Amino acid sequence: MLNLAIRAEGLTKRYRAVAALDRLDLEIAPGEVIGYLGPNGAGKTTTIKLLLGLISPSGGRAEIFGADCQRRPAETHRRLAFVAGEANLWPTLTGAETLHLLGRVHGSVDVAYRDELIARFDLDPAKKVRAYSKGNRQKVILIAALMTRAELLLLDEPTSGLDPLMEEAFRLSIREARDRGQTVFLSSHILSEVEALCDRVGILRAGRLAEMGSLAQLRQLSARTVQATFDGPVPDLSRVPGVSSLAVDGRVARCQVRGPVAPLLTVLAGANVTELLSREPSLEELFLAQYGEHGDDQPLTAREVDQAQAARVADNTRADNTRADSTRADNTEIASTQVARHDAG
Amino acid sequence: MTQADLTAQSPARAAPRTGRPAATVITRLTARKAVRSGVVWGYVFGALIASSAVSYTRIYQTQAARDALAAAYGANNATSALFGPAPQLQTVPGFTAFKIGMTLILLGAVWGLLTSTRLLRGEEDDGRWELLLAGQTTRGRAAAEALAGLGAGACALWALTAILTVGVGLDSSVGLAAGPALYFALAMTATAVMFLAVGALTSQLASTRRQAASYAAGFLGGCYALRMIADAGVGLHGLIWASPLGWVEELRPFAGPQPLALLPIAAFTAVLAVTAVRLAGLRDAGAGILADRARSAPRLRLLSGPAGLAIRLARPVVFGWWTAIALSALLFGIIARSAGSTISGSSAQGVLAKLGASGTGTDAVLGVCFLALAVLIAFAAAGQVTAARSEESSQRLDHLLAGPVSRSRWLGGRLLVAAVVLLAGGAAAGLFAWLGAASQHSGAGLATLLTAGLNLVPPAITIGGIGVAAFGAWPRRTAAVVYTALTWSLLADLAGGFGGSGAASRWLLDTSVFHQMTSAPAAAPNWTANGIMVSVGVGCALLGGLAFNRRDLVGN
Repeated sequence: MLNLAIRAEGLTKRYRAVAALDRLDLEIAPGEVIGYLGPNGAGKTTTIKLLLGLISPSGGRAEIFGADCQRRPAETHRRLAFVAGEANLWPTLTGAETLHLLGRVHGSVDVAYRDELIARFDLDPAKKVRAYSKGNRQKVILIAALMTRAELLLLDEPTSGLDPLMEEAFRLSIREARDRGQTVFLSSHILSEVEALCDRVGILRAGRLAEMGSLAQLRQLSARTVQATFDGPVPDLSRVPGVSSLAVDGRVARCQVRGPVAPLLTVLAGANVTELLSREPSLEELFLAQYGEHGDDQPLTAREVDQAQAARVADNTRADNTRADSTRADNTEIASTQVARHDAG
Repeated sequence: MTQADLTAQSPARAAPRTGRPAATVITRLTARKAVRSGVVWGYVFGALIASSAVSYTRIYQTQAARDALAAAYGANNATSALFGPAPQLQTVPGFTAFKIGMTLILLGAVWGLLTSTRLLRGEEDDGRWELLLAGQTTRGRAAAEALAGLGAGACALWALTAILTVGVGLDSSVGLAAGPALYFALAMTATAVMFLAVGALTSQLASTRRQAASYAAGFLGGCYALRMIADAGVGLHGLIWASPLGWVEELRPFAGPQPLALLPIAAFTAVLAVTAVRLAGLRDAGAGILADRARSAPRLRLLSGPAGLAIRLARPVVFGWWTAIALSALLFGIIARSAGSTISGSSAQGVLAKLGASGTGTDAVLGVCFLALAVLIAFAAAGQVTAARSEESSQRLDHLLAGPVSRSRWLGGRLLVAAVVLLAGGAAAGLFAWLGAASQHSGAGLATLLTAGLNLVPPAITIGGIGVAAFGAWPRRTAAVVYTALTWSLLADLAGGFGGSGAASRWLLDTSVFHQMTSAPAAAPNWTANGIMVSVGVGCALLGGLAFNRRDLVGN
């Protein structure tokens, strides 16, 4: 059997009484692109540092391509490349010197690809790191990781500080990596990025893995949003099985539907519907459902989630094109969606 | 409506206003840090003065003993060049000024330049300065306010020094009036004030804290060298007025006070401070007046791995240390012969022997001078250890250890580089002392002086080893531990070195690595003691390395 790219069993890291990571189980096959979501302090960076062996676990173990992360770091590191969330580099070295150094340390570099990446990310390698902006320093460590063509890319919030053009270049590079069969472990809190790139998504919540699955699987667990506009009186939808969060505004009805949509369609077929919009929950909504916190550690109740989603739907439909709009909304980071939820509440 | 009504209704006025106007915020912020440091170092200054004064009265109780001391040092060009002239060694204050004065003058200068570069350029490096500039202020005004805060720190340094000096003066055997005590404290802290201003100026010229501190340190080195030549008895005493350190010497705290020398000190400080404020207003925030090259052609030769990187990063600093060591050794070599000739025979040799130097003339003087070089080399060792820690705390180390590089390989490479730095520093000390001595046709042989130079390395290895142990076990305390070990050794050696007797004094001396080192070339190197010091250093480093392998990497 092929070794898994990453396997973690009960991986735990405690700092005194606080569990930064609590009994994490992960199984990631070679070639997968995994999104690892969670807000600040959820344990994303802790996970990656444990996988790198930079810190040692309080319990459990982790393997990369079958080799133990703690006991055989040199072996695992030969097959991976790492992008830190904060690009702290040597201020007196230039970009080119930094890339040369990190390439020599790693051992293998695809020089042609490196030059292509430098052009793609529009980096001036003759500049000293001290003179780079935050985004440019981030580009240096991104290029350093990508140019190794390592089998596993461990990316810790790799796009912080990148502008939208560079974000696009980043997505292109990750797709290239996926097409070459590289495994990508992408820790992020930029949901649109994860939605655009990842096969599977894990959602971390206060040190515990709250959800792990493909986007389709996660969506099935959640409700879809339906909005209907009528050319006449709005029928009573509140008793239809699966429908919740019903809101009627003039001739427009909005609701959430869990499970099969057939009963709702039957009712709608009997009324004079002029326009019907149906939308899957965005990753943002899935995330909120997982992560709606009031400052304490309690998840939102189903009712609160529904309210938040209804508010979001109201927002989206105002902008007409739901798909385009959801992209816009998803581009905001978690912090702002939290605010949006509070606004809604 | 009355004026009061208008005021009350204006929304801007009605908004709650907290705190004091921005003008004093920066002053208070800077003052808080500067005063804290000034109080600590003022205490150290005062304690050194007090211990020196008290120990003099205990050791040299009879007039005969004091006359012998005066005869030995009073007209000695070597000690005069190193420590300044010693006109009144028969008196407690005169001896204290001679024994501890130059140490405090230099310590004060280092404190001044480090404090001001840290609180000015360091804050700018860390991005905090911009937050302050975003308030209701201008770049120039903010710099002036910060300078006022630094002034408060200098006041704290003087106040603590003065309190302790006046306090020890009350002791009947010391017998020092309050007036002269305050004047003495002023003289001892004058360099601190001047070098606060020097640091403020270099903070505007350079674009990083490290650069600013090294410009200021270079200036200090030049000042010291100038006054050294002036005091070396080679007929160039007029040069004393060319060096700010010389002005402090000319204050003559206990031997015919000359307060007029305060004039150049005050003028120098004022001119530098005003220039610094003007430059701060002219330059961009974050940039320096001297252009920093933002682009350069890649130099890849060394960047093939962690050890090469360590060399590349250490290079500018190490060249600085080597230059300082080589220049000092050269000067020592040059003055050694003329200084040595004045101490032949008599009681002088007995006094030098108390400092650990035996032998005759030139060798004895060099033996004492080399103590100062041992301290420089130990500081270089401490710097290497703290540099390793800063690689970790800044998380730059993560990029290397995420590659197939083991922690042992990284640390081992760095320590190897550090060992080469120390050995080369020792060899440079011997070589340049020989060059200096040879230029004066004095007989010290190259082999002897090279051996004496290498003899300076074992204490540095012990200090470095202690630092590595701390790095492994308490990473966040690395700098604190290594500099405490170093300062302790230095102070213990200074406090005990001028002739101590009694068990307490001997015990104190024994804890100093510098005391364990024999003062070659005056005495033959003690290879057993050196072996022990190297073993202790290497042992500590190994333990530290083991602990580092097993612990988590920790940031700041």
